[in-house]
Amino acid sequence: MLSVRSVSKSYGSVRALSNVSLDFMPGEVHAVLGENGAGKSTLMGVIAGFVRPDGGEIVLGDDRLPADPVAVRRRGIEMVHQHFMLVPNFKVEENIALASLSPLARRLELGPLTKQAMDMASSLGWHIDPKAPTGTLPVGIQQRVEIVKALAGSATVLILDEPTAVLAPDEVADLMGVLRQLRDHGVTVILIAHKLSEVMGIADRASVLRDGRLVASTLMSETTGEQLAGWMVGGREPPSNLQLGEGGVVVLRAHQLEVTGDRGEVAVRGFELELKGGEIFGVGGVDGNGQVELAEALARVRPLRSGRLEWSGRKHPVVAYIPQDRQTDGLALKMSVEDNLKLAAIADASLRFGPFLRPKAVRDWSRSLVERFEIKATSTRQAVGGLSGGNQQKVVVARALARQPDLLVAVNPTRGLDLKATDYVHGRILEAAAKGAAVVLISTDQDEIEALSDRWTFLSRGRTVDRLVGADI
Amino acid sequence: MTAVGLLAVLVITLVVFGIDPQRGLSLIIEGAFGNRFGLARTFVRATPLLLCGLGMTLAWKSGMYNIGGEGQYVAGGIAGAVVARSLSALVPSVFQTAVLVGSMAGGMALALFAGWLQVKRGVQCVISTILLNFVVLQALAWCVRGPLQESKHELPLSDKLPDTLMLARFDHQTDFHAGVFVALGVALGTWVYLTFSRGGFLLKLVGENPLVARANRIPAARIQMTAMALSGALCGLGGGVDYLGITGQIGDGFSQNWGFLAIPVALLGGLNPFGVVGSSLYFGALMAGGEGLARFNTTGSTLVSVIQAVAVLGFVAFSQLRMRRPAVPHD
Repeated sequence: MLSVRSVSKSYGSVRALSNVSLDFMPGEVHAVLGENGAGKSTLMGVIAGFVRPDGGEIVLGDDRLPADPVAVRRRGIEMVHQHFMLVPNFKVEENIALASLSPLARRLELGPLTKQAMDMASSLGWHIDPKAPTGTLPVGIQQRVEIVKALAGSATVLILDEPTAVLAPDEVADLMGVLRQLRDHGVTVILIAHKLSEVMGIADRASVLRDGRLVASTLMSETTGEQLAGWMVGGREPPSNLQLGEGGVVVLRAHQLEVTGDRGEVAVRGFELELKGGEIFGVGGVDGNGQVELAEALARVRPLRSGRLEWSGRKHPVVAYIPQDRQTDGLALKMSVEDNLKLAAIADASLRFGPFLRPKAVRDWSRSLVERFEIKATSTRQAVGGLSGGNQQKVVVARALARQPDLLVAVNPTRGLDLKATDYVHGRILEAAAKGAAVVLISTDQDEIEALSDRWTFLSRGRTVDRLVGADI
Repeated sequence: MTAVGLLAVLVITLVVFGIDPQRGLSLIIEGAFGNRFGLARTFVRATPLLLCGLGMTLAWKSGMYNIGGEGQYVAGGIAGAVVARSLSALVPSVFQTAVLVGSMAGGMALALFAGWLQVKRGVQCVISTILLNFVVLQALAWCVRGPLQESKHELPLSDKLPDTLMLARFDHQTDFHAGVFVALGVALGTWVYLTFSRGGFLLKLVGENPLVARANRIPAARIQMTAMALSGALCGLGGGVDYLGITGQIGDGFSQNWGFLAIPVALLGGLNPFGVVGSSLYFGALMAGGEGLARFNTTGSTLVSVIQAVAVLGFVAFSQLRMRRPAVPHD
C-alpha cells in the first residue's frame, strides 16, 4: 500500500497542498481529480520524489520514501509526465533505454533493453519506429513513447499525469485496456485526469483535490459523475454557451494549399477552405497528420509550398494564433506574465511612444487583461512558468484575444486543461467568433470540435477527409 | 552578497600565492582607489571593458553567443585609424565624432558578418566570432606594416595622433579622458533600450524563446542581426574610444584582451547594463590595483589574472546553485 500522510507544500505564498492524506491500494485504479491548480501535479511530484514536501511523508509498505526520484523509481514507482521527459535529440530506443540503464561501464545494447517496451507498444497496436529521433515525432507519438517507457519497467505503482490529453478516442480505449490488465496484476495505477468520462469507465476509486485540499475520496460505485464534478468545481455553475453571431461574407479563401513540414515532407496537400467572418471551422483527426503545419500556414507563421491563401476582409487583418504547446511556442516561461502579454501590446499604437513602450500604460493594460481573463497570478511580474497549466493557457489565450482578431487559428486550445478552464477557453473562442472573427479550430478532441464548430473536416496524412475510418487513424 | 564573495575570492587567492592578504589587499586598494591616479586608472581600464561588456550583453540576451568582442574591438580600432588617416584638417569635435562613428561601423561590419553566417548559413556565431578574432588580428598586423604604417615606415605602428585631436582630458597628469563618460552614457542608453523600447523587448524575447517569436510572426533572424550589429558597434566603439583616448595609434598590441575580458565582465554583471558597470569597475580596479601590487611583488600581474578567473568561476557556480529549482512545476 502507498500512503500519503499529512503532506503539505507551499510555493511562495501559494499553498499547493495542505495536509493531504491518501491511501493507494494495490490492484486498484485510483483517479485523482481536480481543476488546474488544485494540487494534483504537486502531489504526484511529491510521491515521485521530484518535489520535497514542507511536511508529511510518503510511505510504501513499511518504508518511508525519500524525496529522491531515482530512489523512488528503484522502489517501483513509475510516472508518466504530462509534459514529456524525453531527450529530443535521442532516438526513441535511446529514450526508452534511459529508464533501465544502470552499469555505465558495460557495453550498451539497446535491443534487449528496449525489447519489453517495444513489445508492449506493438501489443497495443502502436507503431513506433525505435530509430526515429524523438523530437521530430508528433506529440501524440511522443506521449506513447513516454507511456511504454514507464510500462516496460516492473512498476508496482504507475502514475499517469493526464495521459489522455493528446490521444484519440480509440487510443484512449487501448490505454485503458492496458491499465486494466496492470490493475489485475496487482499494480497500483494512479490516474490524474480531468475528463470525468474516462475516469468513470475505469477507476475503482476517486479522490478529489480542490485548492490543495483533499475534498473527497470515495469508491466509484458509491458516487456519480455529477457529485464528482460538484466536488471539483466547488458548487460553481458552468458558464453557458454564447450565441453564435450571424455569419458574414467569406473573408478567407484557401486554394490548393500545400505546406512543407519540418523534415521537408509535404505535410498538407490540396487543402481548400472558404471561411466567413463569425464562422468556426473545425479540423479533427489524429495528431501528426498535418494539423500543426496547416495551422501555421493559416496563421502565416509557416510559408506555403504552393497554393493561394487570400484574405478579402480588412486590409491588415489581425491574425491571432493559439499554438498547440504553450510551453514551447506559446510562452517564454522565464519571462513575466506582463512580458508574455506584451507581445500583443507592441502592435498597439496607444501603448507606444516612438520606439519605446510606455511602461505604465503597458502595465495597466496587462493588469486589465489579467483581470479580464481571470488569470490567477501573484502579480503581473511573476514568471509565467510558475503559473498552473490552466493559467498559463489563459495567458496564451489572453494574448491572442487581447485585440479582437479577424482570424483566429487555435490548435488544441484546451489540451491538459480541466473542466472549468476548458469551458472558459471555449467561451472565449465562441465570443471572438460572435464578434465576427473567422475561427479555425484544430483539435484532436472530437467532442470539442463538435461542440464549437459550425462545420468540420478531418485531416488524415495531410489530406482532408469526410470521416475517419480505421486506416486513416 | 556578491561583493562579499568577490572579496573572499581575492583574499583566498592572495593566501594561496603566499602573500599577506592584508598587505596585498591594501596594495590593490591603494593602487585602484588610493589617489586620483589610481582612480583614473580604474576608470580608464574599466572603459573598454564596459563598452565591450555592454556589447556582449546585447548579443547574448538575444541568444547570439558573440565571443568576438576582441576582434570587433580591434576592427573598431582599425576603422577608427583609417578614418583618422583620411581626415585631418577638422575641428577636434567633428574629427572625433567621425572616428568614433567609423570605429562603430568597423565593429558592426564584423559582427554582422558573423550574424549573417549564423542566420543564413547555419554557422554558429560562437565559432565564427572566435575565428574572426584571429582574422582581424592578422589584418591589424598587416595594416600597421602596410597602408596604416607610420610615415617613416620603421615601426609596426600607425601615426600618433596629435594631442589636440585626442579626447579631452581633465587632468593632464592622468589618463582620465572624456571616453569614460561616453561609456557610462552608453550603459545608460543600453539599459533604457533593453528596459523600455520595443526593440529591446523583442531582443530579450527572441533570446528567451525564439519559437514564441516565430509563432507571433516576429522576425527572429532580423532581431538577432540587429543585436549583433549593436553588439559589434559597441565593441568597435570600445576600440575607437581607446584609440582616441589612450593610445592615439594602433599597433600589434592594440588590444590587451579587452574583448575577451568583456565576456566575464558581462556574465559577472548578470547581463544587466548596470551590473556590467559594476563588474567592469571591479575588473578595472583589479587591473589598476594589480599594477600597484606588481610594483612590490613579482607575481602581481599574474595574480590579477588568477583572481579574475577565480571570480568568474565562482560566480558561475554560485548562480547555478541559485537556479536550482524543483524539477516538477506545481500544477
